[in-house]
Amino acid sequence: MNKRILSIILLISIVLMLCVSNMSIYAEDTIKVGILLPLSGPAAPIGVNSLNGHKLAVEEINESGGIQSLGGKKLELVVADSGGDPKVGMTQAERLITKDNVVAIMGAYQSSVTYPSTQVAEQFKIPYIVPSSYLPTITERGFEYTFRLCLTSALASREQISFLDRMGKLTGDPVKTLGLIYENTDWGESAGETWRHYAEEYGFEVILDEKYQANSPSLRPVVSKINAAKPDALLFASYTSDAILLTKGIAEQKINIKAYVTTAGGHADPVFLENVGAAGNFYFDLAETSPDIDLPIARETNTKYKEIYGDNMSDDCIKCYTSTYVLAKALEIAQSTDSEDLRRVIANIYMIPGQKGIITPYGVDFGPDGQNIHARGVMIQTMNEERIVVYPNELALPGAEIVWPVPTWDERE
Amino acid sequence: MLVKNIFIIKVFFTNMLGFRCLKERNDTMVFLDALLNGVLMGGIYGLTALGLTLIFGVMKVINFAHGTHLMMMMYAAYWVVELTGIDPYLSLIVVIPVAYLLGYFTQDLLVNPILKKEADVREPVGVLLLTAGLWIFFNNFFLLLFGANFRSAETIYSGTTFSLGSILVSKPLLYAFIISLISTYTLYRFLKTTRLGRAIRATGQDREAARLMGINVFRIYNIAFGVGIVAVGIAGTVLIPLFYVHPFAGDVFDIRAFVIVVLGGLGSVPGALLGGIIVGVIESLAGQYFSMTWAAALIYIIFLIVLFIRPSGIFGFEKEG
Repeated sequence: MNKRILSIILLISIVLMLCVSNMSIYAEDTIKVGILLPLSGPAAPIGVNSLNGHKLAVEEINESGGIQSLGGKKLELVVADSGGDPKVGMTQAERLITKDNVVAIMGAYQSSVTYPSTQVAEQFKIPYIVPSSYLPTITERGFEYTFRLCLTSALASREQISFLDRMGKLTGDPVKTLGLIYENTDWGESAGETWRHYAEEYGFEVILDEKYQANSPSLRPVVSKINAAKPDALLFASYTSDAILLTKGIAEQKINIKAYVTTAGGHADPVFLENVGAAGNFYFDLAETSPDIDLPIARETNTKYKEIYGDNMSDDCIKCYTSTYVLAKALEIAQSTDSEDLRRVIANIYMIPGQKGIITPYGVDFGPDGQNIHARGVMIQTMNEERIVVYPNELALPGAEIVWPVPTWDERE
Repeated sequence: MLVKNIFIIKVFFTNMLGFRCLKERNDTMVFLDALLNGVLMGGIYGLTALGLTLIFGVMKVINFAHGTHLMMMMYAAYWVVELTGIDPYLSLIVVIPVAYLLGYFTQDLLVNPILKKEADVREPVGVLLLTAGLWIFFNNFFLLLFGANFRSAETIYSGTTFSLGSILVSKPLLYAFIISLISTYTLYRFLKTTRLGRAIRATGQDREAARLMGINVFRIYNIAFGVGIVAVGIAGTVLIPLFYVHPFAGDVFDIRAFVIVVLGGLGSVPGALLGGIIVGVIESLAGQYFSMTWAAALIYIIFLIVLFIRPSGIFGFEKEG
């Protein structure tokens, strides 16, 4: 009997609490923006990092008077945790729309979560800005409410191959043959496929096409194959553990290659350089931006961010920050929180890098499919075990010069 | 005069061996390179499987925590090298006793109580579950302790090579192979010739008969587990200049170790080394001439064929006990 009374009291108090918390949400006069990110699970560190980008942007916007065309209304982030699970991502997206009445959603880092959750937003006709999911098909479904700020994996592959092409032309020391090294699951395979496609388009000859099992105990056979084929340039899509073994193996066998081009992933992991040391020098890594880019507003924002959060802004963090400003600008222009008005403005927005809040080195202009047509990559080269933006030259700091071709192992000593 | 002659001979030989090949890596060189790397890497695989086969041979217990023990030993060796800066191979002085004590007390405090309760059971499943539990527990415990970061110890051997014509042979890989041969031989002699070794083998062949002969079976179990983990400790140490350390690094070698002991014969010491070399060579040659994905598949295809033709493995006993 006692237990029943207790459980009834508990139930009532929970209901009361829910009412009170809901009331407090409705009481405030803010514009709610939904954020869907993996805040638990293996990708949680990246999720938290991305969220910090959104937070910093919202703080700045609110401090400078909120959305002025809407009477200075403040932005409010409503954060949902996807846990990296596509199903949870879908239900959370639905919750953000139906329960929290957000005007737009941003997220969801993992492509596997972004793909179905954008579908939910499309159904409810709520704009969804994707700052950092690379799966090409996200913007290939004819959706009207999905907008992607970043590159796609196919575009990234094109950036890598066109970089090799352009460097050959700029220096007069061209690359002719390519070696493709990638892990044999979705990510690596799709990189391999798009590399082959663009290699053909740009007239490179692929003389080594090698996939391997991720987390292998030994990658010596791969290294030995590279040594036998000796391509002019190598392209990698590897996770951290394999990136370490491959880099050490290439250094050990003193294989001379004109250029190593990597695809973030393991090669961009900060512990990668700690593990391989000088063997990782001169590798090119494709990124979208970097704290040391020659874009003053980006470096200022990074300094500010570092003071608050103690770390440099990651690529994802920078893209989330920029996306928040894009949304704020769209609200400002639309003078309305109506989702159809907002969608129309976002679809036609045009912002340039360096403009307040746009700290990506590319502008924002969404094509008819929702993909940002200005998204492009920058090349980061590791010099003295430090990652430095070197390409395009226009975005490199003075003194940051590209090293092409990579010096031979004998020259390095 | 003599010095000069030796110098000329030396130059002559380096030219003979090296010069011609340095110009172009021909097919033979590629094959020899792949074969050599396969054999050397196989030696390490064999060493990682040695502890597993010993523990199985004596107790008929499959140690599911084998990879985890390897990972723990890698961390032990890593920290000794990082903190003291000594030669990685000298860290064995610390790692071997630690490994022995870890093995001894794992058996004494955790496995034996369960074995005693399941005394009448032919296949002790409880122990299997216990080792599986240890595997998951320690992997995550080390994740908690050291985080998910990959670490590599910077040793004087890392990345150094001997040149053999146009083939560059990794020094730490060669040393690891030699240590693997020595360890296998030592363990083999220990089991064959010493009184304790004979007691261990007797216990492995028939627990009840050994007990009747006055052997303290549970003490033998403790020692066997201790020695098994020492073998794992040696494997972990020789991997330090070659591999990275990570809470899940042991699992990378784990499945391979199981394949190796079944190939070589469960419980057979020389079988572990031979199985390791077979796996290493298949992996290297298949990786060279087909692809790494094929190499992984081929190892299991050969594993299945061996199981069909000779279920007890190459060196295994047809009938045990």
